[in-house]
Amino acid sequence: MEFLHVEGFRKQFAGTEVLKGIDFDLPKGKILAIIGPSGGGKTTLLRCLNFLETPDEGKVFLDGELLSDAKVSYSQRERREKQLKFGLVFQNFELFPHLTAIKNILLAPDLLARDRVKEQFKERRQSVKGFSARKALKKEEKRSFKELTAENKRHAEELLRQVGLSEKRDSYPSQLSGGQQQRVAIARALALSPEVLCFDEPTSALDPELTGEVLKVIRALKGRTLIIVTHEMAFAREVADYVLFMTDGVIEERGTPDEVFLHPQKEKTKAFLKHMEEYHDE
Amino acid sequence: MNSFWNVTLALLEGFGSTCLIFAATLVFAIPLGLLVTFGSMSRFRPLKWLMRTIVWVVRGTPLMLQLIAIFYGPALLFGIDGFDRVPAVIVAFVINYACYFSEIYRAGIEGVPRGQAEAGQTLGLKKSQVFFHITLIQLIKRIVPPMSNEIITLVKDTSLARIISVTEIILVAQEYTRQGLIWPLFYTGVFYLLFVGVLTLLFRHTEKKLEYIKI
Repeated sequence: MEFLHVEGFRKQFAGTEVLKGIDFDLPKGKILAIIGPSGGGKTTLLRCLNFLETPDEGKVFLDGELLSDAKVSYSQRERREKQLKFGLVFQNFELFPHLTAIKNILLAPDLLARDRVKEQFKERRQSVKGFSARKALKKEEKRSFKELTAENKRHAEELLRQVGLSEKRDSYPSQLSGGQQQRVAIARALALSPEVLCFDEPTSALDPELTGEVLKVIRALKGRTLIIVTHEMAFAREVADYVLFMTDGVIEERGTPDEVFLHPQKEKTKAFLKHMEEYHDE
Repeated sequence: MNSFWNVTLALLEGFGSTCLIFAATLVFAIPLGLLVTFGSMSRFRPLKWLMRTIVWVVRGTPLMLQLIAIFYGPALLFGIDGFDRVPAVIVAFVINYACYFSEIYRAGIEGVPRGQAEAGQTLGLKKSQVFFHITLIQLIKRIVPPMSNEIITLVKDTSLARIISVTEIILVAQEYTRQGLIWPLFYTGVFYLLFVGVLTLLFRHTEKKLEYIKI
């Protein structure tokens, strides 16, 4: 069993089967590209992995342990814990319009830090008696929260630098180009250090001249475990270690980029690749 | 006797209860409306239908009728002492406005793209954190214009309180009419205009403040 192991994902929407039993493996630090026609179930698969949808059936194993099972209903708290193992970069960025670039990145880590500190101190607060002792504890709690947020801030600034947007730190999303917004969204997803980062057609909402900067940022993430749903065939071929071709809710073909792109076995794969090539030439 | 100054003072006193009804309605109806919204958007069907029925009844009958029902209803139906006049007015207004507000909130919540909450969810936020840190401010931005409308209507609806003999400004002016003095009634318009003028400036200021959010 590899680092990420997905087993038997099935999902129906109003009687239509969108995922008809999806199984795949992905070793740690490798990049998986998922290609295929629209409506083939690629996005649903990513949404299921990220707990935005619950599959009707299926299991996810991470690092050899069962992470989630469609048959088990988890509490909100458990779900959050599991959710944090995955990150998702959306097609439409979904930056928070009321927050600056840096605050978009910091929102979740800071809230998480607050929850964690609160929990840590909850027990101690119950056992402490006396006004001054309680006050001292409160001070300590505040300090450790401050330390965490300062650390978060350093991390966020480092991430902004990584995606080349340090100077846009205090800009609102509306003041950024689409490509810049997507780069901030990538930094935001990275801030929580997910085990597996998923991209849902990260460049398809962008003008062609802006896709390059986003692809460059993704390319630089090599070494992390990534799943990329994409229509950029050349990019998929270049960065991916493995490729899945999905259509009609099944994985029609899988292999290394060379196998899938140069020597496709299935007719559907060949037809799709040919179609994409023609589309690209236009 | 009925000098301009005396009339102004008397009207001001009536305007005091107008302001009281106005302020109390806002203070209670704004949060209550949010609860109604959550109820009417609930996935628990009975609650959803109960809330939607209440909203239908409240929006579907005249506020004047509701005032009478709340003031006289308890005594007529159950033979018990109901509310005093001013509390009755406030209760009726709060229920009425909470229902109107709730529909504005609902439109506002549904107007925030689903992807925003989903983005929060994938970042491990709790439902309450998603609401308070992501949805709420975008919701407020969306509802300021329709809420301004509703709140301005409230200023003038307060005049309905005289139906159950609460001495608000119009009722005071009507007393003068009975004495053959017409102009105080028209003079009340100035009070309303000034009040609404101040509110309009406040709303414009709020919209300006939220301009940085582009949605």
